[in-house]
Amino acid sequence: MAEIQLVDVQKRYAGRRAGAPAVQDLSYTIGDGEFVSLLGPSGCGKSTTLNMIAGLEDVTGGEILIDGARVDDLEPDKRDLAFVFQDYALYPHMSVHDNIAFGLRMRKVPKAETERRVLDAARRLDIAHVLGDKPRALSGGQRQRVALARAIARRPAVFLFDEPLSNLDALLRDQTRSELKLLHAELGATSVYVTHDQEEAMTLSDRIVVMSRGHLEQYGTPYEIYHRPATEFVASFVGKPRMNLLPAGLVAGSRYRVAGSSFHVDLPGHTAPDVRLGLRLDECSVTAAGDGEVHGTVKVIEPLGNVSDVTIDLGTALFTVRTPGFSTLPVGGAVRIDTRAATLHVFDPSTGARLGG
Amino acid sequence: MAATTDASSTPVALTPVSVRGRRRRRRRAWGTVGHRALVVLLLVYLLAPFLWMLLYSVYPSSALQRTTPDLDPAGLTGASYGRLLSDGSFLRPMANSAIVGIATTVVCMVLGSACAYAIARFRFRGRQALLLGMLTVQAIPVIVLAVPLFILLRAFGLYDDLLGLVVTYTAFTLPLVVWMLVGFFEEVPPSLERAARIDGCSRLQILLRIAVPLAAPGMAATAILAFINSWSDFFLAKVLTSTAATTLPVKTAAFQGLFAMDYTSAATAGVITAIPVLVLALVAQKWIIHGLVEGAVKG
Repeated sequence: MAEIQLVDVQKRYAGRRAGAPAVQDLSYTIGDGEFVSLLGPSGCGKSTTLNMIAGLEDVTGGEILIDGARVDDLEPDKRDLAFVFQDYALYPHMSVHDNIAFGLRMRKVPKAETERRVLDAARRLDIAHVLGDKPRALSGGQRQRVALARAIARRPAVFLFDEPLSNLDALLRDQTRSELKLLHAELGATSVYVTHDQEEAMTLSDRIVVMSRGHLEQYGTPYEIYHRPATEFVASFVGKPRMNLLPAGLVAGSRYRVAGSSFHVDLPGHTAPDVRLGLRLDECSVTAAGDGEVHGTVKVIEPLGNVSDVTIDLGTALFTVRTPGFSTLPVGGAVRIDTRAATLHVFDPSTGARLGG
Repeated sequence: MAATTDASSTPVALTPVSVRGRRRRRRRAWGTVGHRALVVLLLVYLLAPFLWMLLYSVYPSSALQRTTPDLDPAGLTGASYGRLLSDGSFLRPMANSAIVGIATTVVCMVLGSACAYAIARFRFRGRQALLLGMLTVQAIPVIVLAVPLFILLRAFGLYDDLLGLVVTYTAFTLPLVVWMLVGFFEEVPPSLERAARIDGCSRLQILLRIAVPLAAPGMAATAILAFINSWSDFFLAKVLTSTAATTLPVKTAAFQGLFAMDYTSAATAGVITAIPVLVLALVAQKWIIHGLVEGAVKG
């Protein structure tokens, strides 16, 4: 069992890759037994962070503590953690059995205990029948299970996962994802999981670390990340399809209007002259304008079966609304957008930080 | 009526197709024949000198030095092999060659794999220059270095000494070994080594337990090359030894006297020199083809 603490962690590459730090000012605590995802686009520093926790890369600033003890000077094998790699990293010259047992042998675990743990891990992951095979004889899904079994057999305090599902096909990925969640519930070990797939992060995690360009954008529960994004980046990165994000200016009182259009909302308590306005598509609705107020015209309708995405041209910007079933609105027709049921997310246009409640 | 039409039209429709097919097949057959003939020609070109040497070692030279060589199997004899392999003055160079070859190979592989692994895995200043430098050393003709080497070895008391030969051959072979091994080690997926670090391996353990087994086919091929390099060297051995440390190629060449030449002995010594090389090449073939790394990562 372990609690992982990152304190002002920084990573700066020397030499040719010098420049802005790959990771900077990361400070957060991953609670004992929690499943935490590091989420962000490629190049945001999430894998670097994971490698630093693992000890595969050096920390150039700040410190990493596991259960209160500083570990950033320790070799990876002294940190009591297991790592599941994206490409599985199974030793091709060893049988499945030896792959799982290797880490235990290196740690001088008694032979009988090693055997017991190898069999237990293999049984849990349903690979007991391939223990004698070489990795090359296995399918991608089986290799992934061997990689997981290798991690489990070690009984570490911390599991680290580096995009472990990204090499699997879609069906297998969903299945393995559910199994991972079950496995975590069973083992209860602290887990850190790197992914660029927000769906994976949302479904698996107790908490999510959203990163971009080496910075921490937000650290929170999936609920907080989705419903109260701390920055415009989080708002745009989390949630599928992407949230509507529009520039809006104060016109009167607390009324803000999307520049160059007649679409406006009331943002009580806000006084900034310019803001970025965020609205989730499925929280808005759209109706034919009739005689009333016109916000824009229908540009495109994308029916998906159970829902349709209606893209509305506001004049200077596009706004998408997700409506139930097949939309009957005519393309080109004037429409009104109803945002009364929607949560209004307001961001500072220069810093991207969330404004107000 | 309809049946007749069918019967008469069917062959007409089929014939051109089958003829074309036959022609194509015939052309392909000729292509195969041509290809095989070329291969045979190449083999004859490559193997004829060796076969001629083999013949000289098993027939008395009088039987071969005629306008029509007498290849009567009754004339076959292994006498020259028996004579050479019981002759101390031949066995000594043979043992010398074996000792020097094996020692050079072992030293080159131990030093070379450590060096190559470091170059393959660590990024440090001068890495490219080092590799390039090693290749440049290979380009220097041995003859340029022969005299300085002779003076040096004599000064160190290593002239006509097996150790002197091992040191010299290692110096010439090591750069090639490192160069080859860097390529093989670079092919070992880095994630395997990171996994090994997590599993508790030190750098040396990673090299010995992960990198070496995975690069084994390449290492075997490299080792064989290193062995052949020193085993078959004539020039340096000729310059740096006289009697005690003389090697097989030098001894073989010595059968060519100033006025007369003992063809049979020379050919027999040649075959004996070639056999280990041939055996190693055949063994290596199996090793090299064995692709171990495949299946290591996603596939």
